[in-house]
Amino acid sequence: MALSTFAFPANLSGAVVSDSIKRSLLYSSWLYGTDQHLHFQSMNNQVTKKSSGVRASLSERGEYYSQRPPTPLLDTINYPIHMKNLSTKELKQLADELRSDIIFNVSKTGGHLGSSLGVVELTVALHYVFNCPQDKILWDVGHQSYPHKILTGRRDKMPTLRQTDGLSGFTKRSESEYDCFGAGHSSTTISAGLGMAVGRDLKGRKNNVVAVIGDGAMTAGQAYEAMNNAGYLDSDMIVILNDNKQVSLPTATLDGPIPPVGALSSALSRLQSNRPLRELREVAKGVTKQIGGPVHELAAKVDEYARGLISGSGSTLFEELGFYYIGPVDGHNIDDLVTILKEVKSTKTTGPVLIHVVTEKGRGYPYAEKAADKYHGVVKFDPATGKQFKTSAKTQSYTTYFAEALIAEAEVDKDIVAIHAAMGGGTGLNIFLRRFPTRCFDVGIAEQHAVTFAAGLACEGLKPFCAIYSSFMQRAYDQVVHDVDLQKLPVRFAMDRGGLVGADGPTHCGAFDVTFMACLPNMVVMAPSDEAELFHMVATAAAIDDRPSCFRYPRGNGIGVELPLGNKGIPLEVGKGRILIEGERVALLGYGTAVQSCLAAATLVEAHGLRLTVADARFCKPLDHSLIRSLANSHEVLITVEEGSIGGFGSHVAQFMALNGLLDGKLKWRPLVLPDRYIDHGSPADQVEEAGLTPSHIAATVFNILGQKREALEIMS
Amino acid sequence: MNAEVISSGHLQLFPTSSNTRHCGSQLPFSGRASTGSIALKPRRRPGPLRITARAAVYAPTQTQAETFYDMLGISETGSISDIKKAYKQLARKYHPDVSPADRTEEYTKRFIEVQEAYETLSDPQTRALYDMNLGRGLHFAFSTGRRNERMDDVEEWKLRWQSQLDELRLWSMHRDNVSSAVSGKAAASPSSSWGSRMRRKRTDIYDLGFR
Repeated sequence: MALSTFAFPANLSGAVVSDSIKRSLLYSSWLYGTDQHLHFQSMNNQVTKKSSGVRASLSERGEYYSQRPPTPLLDTINYPIHMKNLSTKELKQLADELRSDIIFNVSKTGGHLGSSLGVVELTVALHYVFNCPQDKILWDVGHQSYPHKILTGRRDKMPTLRQTDGLSGFTKRSESEYDCFGAGHSSTTISAGLGMAVGRDLKGRKNNVVAVIGDGAMTAGQAYEAMNNAGYLDSDMIVILNDNKQVSLPTATLDGPIPPVGALSSALSRLQSNRPLRELREVAKGVTKQIGGPVHELAAKVDEYARGLISGSGSTLFEELGFYYIGPVDGHNIDDLVTILKEVKSTKTTGPVLIHVVTEKGRGYPYAEKAADKYHGVVKFDPATGKQFKTSAKTQSYTTYFAEALIAEAEVDKDIVAIHAAMGGGTGLNIFLRRFPTRCFDVGIAEQHAVTFAAGLACEGLKPFCAIYSSFMQRAYDQVVHDVDLQKLPVRFAMDRGGLVGADGPTHCGAFDVTFMACLPNMVVMAPSDEAELFHMVATAAAIDDRPSCFRYPRGNGIGVELPLGNKGIPLEVGKGRILIEGERVALLGYGTAVQSCLAAATLVEAHGLRLTVADARFCKPLDHSLIRSLANSHEVLITVEEGSIGGFGSHVAQFMALNGLLDGKLKWRPLVLPDRYIDHGSPADQVEEAGLTPSHIAATVFNILGQKREALEIMS
Repeated sequence: MNAEVISSGHLQLFPTSSNTRHCGSQLPFSGRASTGSIALKPRRRPGPLRITARAAVYAPTQTQAETFYDMLGISETGSISDIKKAYKQLARKYHPDVSPADRTEEYTKRFIEVQEAYETLSDPQTRALYDMNLGRGLHFAFSTGRRNERMDDVEEWKLRWQSQLDELRLWSMHRDNVSSAVSGKAAASPSSSWGSRMRRKRTDIYDLGFR
């Protein structure tokens, strides 16, 4: 093992961050041994070599470039076709330049860093070997597609990543012809890829189809459904299993990295470490050689049987499903990747092939490699030191409040358990896990299983809280209806990210949960208007023990109301809302955090001399009938406001009023819901503006109905 | 570690002396079908020379038994100050500038190891990770040990996938055959799958005469 140590320029010893970094470039190498992958090119040739030998620690000074290094090769590549004449050495250089480009871009915009860094070499190899856009490359989830986007003509738009009117953070068909399939949820690529392969066969075309999927996404059932079908249909396609041993997000608990969830991960590890019985394999080869000669088919058959018998315990899983297994392969070695891909591409009639590629998340950026969460999702940060610029807020997120509320409930009630689907950080249940390690279940990316698993727990008298994002609950809908609601099992659903979610865009937007939950006969549906209400609703849900219940809360921070004592909420009376402001003529009935917008609208309108009534419905099911009746009878106009699609709260109110004759009089009812289109990613403020649910919009609606068009225009401008 | 594959199919196995962490013996990939024929040609001349040469250059500086704690000479429950003291002592002993002239290389190696041990153990987070791995039996240094192990793994993998690619080529040549001379039954053979049928249709139309 050759050892190399490099010196650091003298002026940087002891310096922490700012000044020296702005002035000079750092050239550093790992003291852990030679590492070809951290090959930095120095900006100027003034790296002085001192003879001091080894240094004790690197933590005081930055370990990466402070300014964007030049990328001469990447500058010449706009589309994959420009890569075709590169040599292997140049491909490696391209990968390095691509890496630094990604790091600097994400440092300015925020986004998913670790996963993109892990697939740089894979992306370069894929685009070198295959010819997009005729050949189809599908990226599962899409959050690792940043290198793909840079290489396919969107490098100049990278500064607009995840911003309004900018590049999407995931693959998107309408954005570029190189993005074959939109993604955001996981485990869809093999299915879509098989569809594309079969479509190609039916149309008589000859392109390749490559689906890249991660080991985390492999825990979802859809991946197996797809592989099962692919093995049966036997259409030519390539599946690349990107194995970086990261199954759950955010890849770490509060106390350290998460060990992979599920039995599949250990099978994959065994594949990596398994020494196949090579002797037997050689014997098999010898036998086929003996048979040899013209009877090729027999030899091929013997080979096939021998493989099945002898290959490692794990590859047989994929092979039983009908895939030809190749691997494991070092996912950071472009030579190997190109060799294998070229070979597989040139072989005709392969049927489905699975290439098991082993990568390291966050590779190439020292801070990401060292971090427990591998810098999966980051906000803007300083590239030289890896420090993220996290804004401090006065209140915490709804997610954190939910976790604390659940902990407070679970302290008192031993039967409360929590379930999530590989989203320990996103749902806040990592906090719960730390407090109650045996009562928190991470099932991997398997929402359907999570819901039915919760149903099973409820059968045994436990009180399961299923914390699944509103958008991901869509995957588990039949389980909610059939396994939970039909049998009236008391499962509690805590749906985070209800409503618009900002930079992640429509794939993660929770627009439909009120609609699809409130139409179920036995479900109690509620939504808090602020964090204190959230605490109370968690308590209410814990108390509802004879039927399923759910509550939704948005992404974002609380508004700053006083929290209940000891984080322990008080159960609310089911089916009772509350009036926040008493007024006249016009009533705003809000559901969820839209109530805050209603309050703001009331302030806007007050300036024009009109005092609105603002009420918080709290429950969509069962509705507060007396509240609605009283509002309908004493006002001219009733406006229902919610951050959800049509068919939700507003529709239930309308149904109730129609059936009870409340609409037969002089009352005017107007609903304010999300528009009938998908709202693109952007900042939360821009999205609400686009959706037409800002306080100004609400106030303008009030004036429009009252016939005061002038005031409406005033408010909107 | 190397074996010679003689064309009659007999095998000789040389058990490895170094790298005891690998279980069983290994054979290198010794046959590469270049044009689709199943000829086994010994690619490398094996022999003891190669083993010892390799052992000398690639002597693992950490045997299986030595953990970071052993390197620093402290117990596993040592406190930060124990670690610091041990490190300072050893650093002074093994630093290249003060090492005896004839054993600089060895001492420097040791120094680097000790330093790495200190870096890992002094940071509570990495120490926690290391302890966790220790419990699982993987007590190599994060980077060096892991990279060493990785290098071995990666070489092993390369041999494996090279053979897999060769087999793929062979296997794919006869997949879509209509005639099942082997078993006499056409029912379950791959040639009747949907994909095969589509491929045959395609080749019939586009590549007449291709076999």
